[in-house]
Amino acid sequence: MGLEEKLPSGFLLSTVEGLAGYMRKASIWPATFGLACCAIEMMAVGTPDYDIARFGMERFSATPRQADLMIVAGRVSQKMAPVVRQVYDQMPNPKWVISMGVCASSGGMFNNYAIVQGVDHIIPVDIYLPGCPPRPQMLLNAIIELHKQIETSPLGVNREAAARAAEEAALSATPTHQMKGLLA
Amino acid sequence: MSEPYVPILFMLGLGFAFAALSVFTSLVVGPKRYNRAKLEAYECGIQPSPQAAGGGRIPIKYYLTAMLFIVFDIESVFLYPFAVAFNKLGLFALVEMVLFILTVFVAYAYVWRRGGLDWD
Amino acid sequence: MSLSTAAYDIALSLPAGVTGLAPANDNPVADFSDTPWWVALIKAVGVFVYLLLSTLLVIWFERRVIGRMQQRPGPNRNGPFGLLQTLADGMKSMLKEDITPANADRIVYTTAPLIAATMAFVSFAIIPLGGTVSIFGHETPLQITDVPVAVLLVLAVASVGVYGIVLAGWSSGSTYPLLGGLRSTAQVISYEIAMGLSLVAIFLYSGSMSTSQIVAAQSSLWYILPAFFSFAVYVITMVGETNRLPFDLAEGEGELTGGFHTEYSAMRFAMFYLGEYVNMFTVSALATTMFLGGWQAPPFIAAIGDGALNGGWWGLLWFTIKLWMFMFFFVWLRGSLPRVRYDQFMRFGWRFLIPITLAWVVAVAFIRGAQLGFLGQGTFTIGGRELSVATVVIVSIVAVIALAAAWIWDDKRAEREAAAEFNPPEEIDPFEGGFPVPPLPGQRLREPSGLAVGSGAASREPVTSSVTSTLTSSPVKEETHG
Repeated sequence: MGLEEKLPSGFLLSTVEGLAGYMRKASIWPATFGLACCAIEMMAVGTPDYDIARFGMERFSATPRQADLMIVAGRVSQKMAPVVRQVYDQMPNPKWVISMGVCASSGGMFNNYAIVQGVDHIIPVDIYLPGCPPRPQMLLNAIIELHKQIETSPLGVNREAAARAAEEAALSATPTHQMKGLLA
Repeated sequence: MSEPYVPILFMLGLGFAFAALSVFTSLVVGPKRYNRAKLEAYECGIQPSPQAAGGGRIPIKYYLTAMLFIVFDIESVFLYPFAVAFNKLGLFALVEMVLFILTVFVAYAYVWRRGGLDWD
Repeated sequence: MSLSTAAYDIALSLPAGVTGLAPANDNPVADFSDTPWWVALIKAVGVFVYLLLSTLLVIWFERRVIGRMQQRPGPNRNGPFGLLQTLADGMKSMLKEDITPANADRIVYTTAPLIAATMAFVSFAIIPLGGTVSIFGHETPLQITDVPVAVLLVLAVASVGVYGIVLAGWSSGSTYPLLGGLRSTAQVISYEIAMGLSLVAIFLYSGSMSTSQIVAAQSSLWYILPAFFSFAVYVITMVGETNRLPFDLAEGEGELTGGFHTEYSAMRFAMFYLGEYVNMFTVSALATTMFLGGWQAPPFIAAIGDGALNGGWWGLLWFTIKLWMFMFFFVWLRGSLPRVRYDQFMRFGWRFLIPITLAWVVAVAFIRGAQLGFLGQGTFTIGGRELSVATVVIVSIVAVIALAAAWIWDDKRAEREAAAEFNPPEEIDPFEGGFPVPPLPGQRLREPSGLAVGSGAASREPVTSSVTSTLTSSPVKEETHG
């Protein structure tokens, strides 16, 4: 456990939280990781029309050791699953995952034995991005949403409290099979 | 300043202090959640080989480059005092240096002929 | 030997005017007699902060300028104009998890980035940043220190810096870093020879290896003019030395992922990053000092007010401007050139730069010898300027040799290109190789000889025969037998 996670709750922690959140959000280096057609849209985000460099994210790192964000762009085949997991495991903390496109999020149209039905079966996902494939603007939107999450993400004791609250909420929520109506 | 080399040590010390402090701070401050996969070597996500290529040994080609470097670098360093003292030494230095560089060229041509400068 | 000793005596008895720009002594001209150790320390801290701020700025500058070159804005969200981008990158690295792979040699693995970062700073100790200024009542040059072997020190420190790379690659205990580290090391040391040789011309002109002396010797003429070829070689080698595009083969993402820093994360990686950029500043500062007159103002500004803008703190301004011109050049290269192939890169270094720089050193030695009057004292006057016969003769000989070499080389290249040009035959037999091949543009298919007569077996005869001769166990052959 690092020092940041041992700070006592209070003014100091919230200041550190704010600063660390800003610094982390301002410098997210994605791992070079394209799996299928969504990867083309991910590359398009680097082009002049969309320019991911505005957020300081143009440094796609070739090695996961220097990456903060894994954009799972495309369907994950069963054969690729261990590779995805290994690369994710080798990224240093803190790290985030955007599941880009319906195939990565839920298997999408590939409802078959060869494709992992959602990459959240193997790695934790922070942002699900629908679309087949999503347009670059949608990916930018997902990135901005992720920035908001990172900026306000709690540290130390606050982080534990937030995790507890999330678990409570998940336990008390209505299971999907008991939901009625349009599920909107 | 009586000793002109001491300020170089100041710079060395400052650089080292900064680097060491940064690395140390990051070691203390950063999170530490290790697992087996994280500590494995990175080989594009596949199961890594237990050792680096060739068991961590270095291809012989690089030794050759290193030796050639030493030979030619020392020769170029020999040119420095000649160049600095050129206006004091006069024609003698000029003739001597041309002879020296010719000798270097012979060695160079030999290395070239024997394929020491081939990369594929 | 009698001839050479005679010339030696002449050289020693020459009046100062004949020896031209060359100063007689090779000791630093910068006067450090009124510099107590604490002023030197203050200057060291100042230079250190200057370098750190410049690094913060240049990474942002690079990303913005490359953005502009590619018609996109570049980082502009974090802080005004995105200026906080580099700071955020650094702080983020500080808050990242630091990984030491299980295979790694822990001590060496930690030491390597420290070496890379530390050594990058050291060379700046001998770079003159400005003229003599007053710091807390002490008259001292705007330079941390100067030694008679200052430039040699820079080269030595650069060589030690290579240890950072090679040890990082070796100690990671992983394939990509090992290969990347080796490549990078081979590259840096190969280009260091040509770099060292290119500087010999400067020493010939200035008669000194002390940086303040070299700057002082350039007060009338910047060495970029008399040593233009050295400048070209130095600029090429400094890009090779710093592992920058187009010579960043050590970290070619497509083949070696990150090169020697593949396994490095967090601040240890940031140290390599810092080292690389500070190294860029160091080689640029050396180029400024050696070829562009160091901290001295450009000639037309130096003329204003009898040199009022040419000295003291003003030097820092001119020095910084010149330094950033080189930084822009680095960024420009990165924005416009693709990466070269490794074997081409090494061949260029060893087979072209080294011999041609040696030849250039010989040429400069002769020109310098002629200028100093080692080769005869005769002079003649053209248009009011007194010219030395020997100088004119030597320069003409060098020019003729250079032209002839360029001509021969051009001819050879044209020949080689003509030989390499592939002229496809006008007619091809599509089945010659045993399988059908489509014709290239402008090619005709060879008509089987007896086709017009019409008996199938006879007309296909040449085709089947060629097939059977090449494919011994093909079904066609069995068919003909059966």
